[in-house]
Amino acid sequence: MSIEVLHRSREEFLAALTAAGTDPEGIEAVRVRFAGRRSGLLRDLEETLKGLPREEKPAYGKALNELKRLVEETLGAAAEAASRAKASTGLDVTLPGRRPLVGSLHPVTLVRREIESIFLRMGYSVADGPEIEDDWHNFEALNIPPDHPARDAQDTFYLPSGMVLRTHTSPVQVHTMESQRPPIRVLIPGRVYRRDSDLRHSPMFHQVECLVVDEGITFGHLKGTLEAFLHGLFDPSLAVRFRPSFFPFTEPSAEVDITCVLCRGAGCAMCSGSGWIEILGSGMVDPRVFAACGIDPKRYTGFAFGLGLDRVAVLKYRLPDLRLLFGGDERFLRQFGMGVPA
Amino acid sequence: MKLSLAWLRDHLEGDLPAAELAQRLTGVGMNVELREPVPDDEVWDVDITSNRPDAMNHRGMAREAAAAGCGHLRPLEVQVPEGGVATSELASLDVEDAQGCPRYCARVIRGVKVGPSPAWLAERLARCGVRPINNVVDATNYVLLDVGQPLHAFDLRFLAGQAIRVRRALAGERMTTLDGIERELVPEDVVIADAQKAVALAGIMGGADSEIRDDTTDVLLESAYFDPMRVRRTARRLGLSTEASHRFERGSDRAMARVAADLAAELIVRLAGGEVAAGVLDSAPTLPVPHQMTLLRQRLCAFAGCDIPSGFVLQVLAALGCEPRVAGDEITCTAPTWRVDLELAEDLYEEVLRHFGYDRIPSALPVASTEPGKRLGSWPLTDRAREALVLAGLAEAVTYSFVSADQDGATAGSPLAGRGTPVSLANPLSARLAVMRRTILAGLAEAAAGNLRRGAESVMLGEVGRVFFGIDGRPREEERVALVVAGRLGGWDRQGQADFLDLKGVVEAVLGQLGISAVTWRPAAAPVLAPGEGAEVLDGEQVIGVAGRLADPVAAGVESPLPLWVAEVDLGCVAAAPRPTMRPVPRFPAVEADLTVRHARGLPYAELTGVIREVAPAWLEDVRPVVQYEGEGVAAGELKTTLRLVYRLADRSLTQDEVNQAHFALMEELSRRLAVSFQ
Repeated sequence: MSIEVLHRSREEFLAALTAAGTDPEGIEAVRVRFAGRRSGLLRDLEETLKGLPREEKPAYGKALNELKRLVEETLGAAAEAASRAKASTGLDVTLPGRRPLVGSLHPVTLVRREIESIFLRMGYSVADGPEIEDDWHNFEALNIPPDHPARDAQDTFYLPSGMVLRTHTSPVQVHTMESQRPPIRVLIPGRVYRRDSDLRHSPMFHQVECLVVDEGITFGHLKGTLEAFLHGLFDPSLAVRFRPSFFPFTEPSAEVDITCVLCRGAGCAMCSGSGWIEILGSGMVDPRVFAACGIDPKRYTGFAFGLGLDRVAVLKYRLPDLRLLFGGDERFLRQFGMGVPA
Repeated sequence: MKLSLAWLRDHLEGDLPAAELAQRLTGVGMNVELREPVPDDEVWDVDITSNRPDAMNHRGMAREAAAAGCGHLRPLEVQVPEGGVATSELASLDVEDAQGCPRYCARVIRGVKVGPSPAWLAERLARCGVRPINNVVDATNYVLLDVGQPLHAFDLRFLAGQAIRVRRALAGERMTTLDGIERELVPEDVVIADAQKAVALAGIMGGADSEIRDDTTDVLLESAYFDPMRVRRTARRLGLSTEASHRFERGSDRAMARVAADLAAELIVRLAGGEVAAGVLDSAPTLPVPHQMTLLRQRLCAFAGCDIPSGFVLQVLAALGCEPRVAGDEITCTAPTWRVDLELAEDLYEEVLRHFGYDRIPSALPVASTEPGKRLGSWPLTDRAREALVLAGLAEAVTYSFVSADQDGATAGSPLAGRGTPVSLANPLSARLAVMRRTILAGLAEAAAGNLRRGAESVMLGEVGRVFFGIDGRPREEERVALVVAGRLGGWDRQGQADFLDLKGVVEAVLGQLGISAVTWRPAAAPVLAPGEGAEVLDGEQVIGVAGRLADPVAAGVESPLPLWVAEVDLGCVAAAPRPTMRPVPRFPAVEADLTVRHARGLPYAELTGVIREVAPAWLEDVRPVVQYEGEGVAAGELKTTLRLVYRLADRSLTQDEVNQAHFALMEELSRRLAVSFQ
């Protein structure tokens, strides 16, 4: 019975305080009415406690204490709110702003432009070419004759006419050499296609290719250029390693590794514990390719290299899965903005 | 390829530690990817490039190791104990297709006892990933892994007429290969036949009928050189790749064909007993004249960019079997029979440089051309379009260049997509990726719908890329920019969903960045867009884009929970946009006058403002909408549009009188011409 009185008092208090709003005088009146030292309601209720039978005292006492705490804290908060209301200018600067929607470039575009900017500064031009190619430009001129085993490595999409979706950006090397005399310094980014799809392969991806042709180009130039490029793209402290390899269109050919960007060479899952990451394929232009493109292999030498832009994006942005790049998920795409200034 | 270290050492004199050996081989391009310790040995997994079939065996790898300074290659010793009967009395050989089979060697071993191989041999095979079968077959596989020559053993009993005929397959000829599959052959295939029928697919797989069995006693051993191209075509056509075809199609060693026959015969007798008949049936005992190459050391050094000592060059070339001979400045080399990849001087440069060590060649930068680098082709335009998307608030997406035939069909009804026939792939990866896109909209709509289904409140995606058509049977590529907007756009406290004007604003912002500001919009009935909610964008008379709400069936096809507002613009039309020059900034104040026009609903805004511009004085600088209203106080079928007219003269301030006069004249003319009234 007496507990119910406490409940009623609680309701009365809250109603009175709500009615007072942020009016300081109203709040003070509520305080006097409920928590006044002399005649406040809480004081009356304390008196009631004294007169209760022994067995009812603990429950009543506990409820009364809770009510006292509620009254005290709520009055404090109300007083604080009242003083804030008085001081307020009406502007809450902590509300979220209405942001103009800021767009973002695709990670592959960001990586491509970063690479382009490195080479543009070194005096290279950026070229493009068709994505649907004939067999000559995609294969034969690059010293990959029909039935050559190297065609196995690049499972090709064919059109019924026998034309192909380019399997690499190298055909643009051929177009460039067919239409331009040395000196040639050109960078060729673009979409390429291979008949392959899993976590690490996408049937469409991006490559960037570099071709330099001039008199007196050496293997040392290939090394120096690649080191300058990879140090600019990743980090000047990374080690760059050249391993002999084979590509039909270069002779000699080199596979290029860099120190694993994740573990810095200590060995991790990304580099399969080796501390190195295969980053690109390169080599001196095969004289057969020069001959096919009408460039005198006795007079000119050159180098070429190519790498996957998507793979660079995976390494630079630590992507777990290549397919993120082509899924159009804005939660992913909007993370990169305009990238970092080159 | 898997190699046994102990086996490798059989061919290599020298005691370099395993780790050092692996490192040196990797350094010269034989990438030792994995070293797995096994009892008394190590199994190495070596990545051997496709141009080096000669290294795909233990002796070949040992030769590389020797050239890399890891010791000396031991000479190959073989001594075949021959019996009294001549091979030619036991079997006959006739190579009819010498193009497909430039060399065929056969030996006969009689009286063998087929049984399991000894443990040491079975274990070596197993370590290299070859399943032991019986002593005769294992001997041929052992020699394959030892020196790289694929061999085949026939049961002589089952060769009709004890004859070997190497010929083209007959049209429609069939044979069952060792794997139990019956294969239909074509004349392009080289087959080994007996007097009656094909008994083996040359260089790929033997036939089931003549294979070695437990009760085989007489063996005909084949050791041949087959044309790489022919083997490759047949293997590809039949989808059959074997240890043998892998090597033959890359090029085997013509000289080794003869030696390996002896090695295998010797081993078979050792393992299975029997007697080797005297002599070898050899279709081409004389080898072609070996290819010669000449190398100038100065040129090699110029090519490398550093000095490479003459002694080193000669040592490497000798170790690789190139028999270098010095005459003055020239070093002339002979291509070893096992090195099918050596043809030009540059091929020798590679040999020398990879053994010299790429790491020892000093790095340098080529002398810079003085001409600045330029972005060529479509790059300047397409990247400008990408930047325009970003400035308009869109996220750049990249979607696949191929779509399904259904998607292509559903999105073909657009003036931009209909410019040519679809380009289909002959061998698509799946039906979903079968046709080259004629519009970016299909892929972009799918991406947008995916975002919405994941619970995104809004989507703003754009893509710049190519579309593909067939025009007169030739493929044609065009650069496009496309975008999609949907959902609740604007700040967190804005209500309502994206509509046509949101789309139009974004398209205009993008076009503006591309230097196109004077486009006109007219309703379009493109089937890709919802009826009555689509427009064509024109630059002059030319349609350069489409924009509107994606037609319901297309949106349903990508399971979009919200309407998708899409647009696509042909970038080919904007390529020639001129560089903007400055317009003068006004020096005198403008006078603004609002005009509320009550008009029929069907009157397009463009027509209303068009008439205004026509009748107003030349110093009407701008007309823009302030508010449009319908409902209470406006009759059904009518609309109230409040316009703000901005008047300004370039050379002096206007007076209120001048403005009033013009403004009232304008109102009078408007009501006469368009039957509108004013508030």
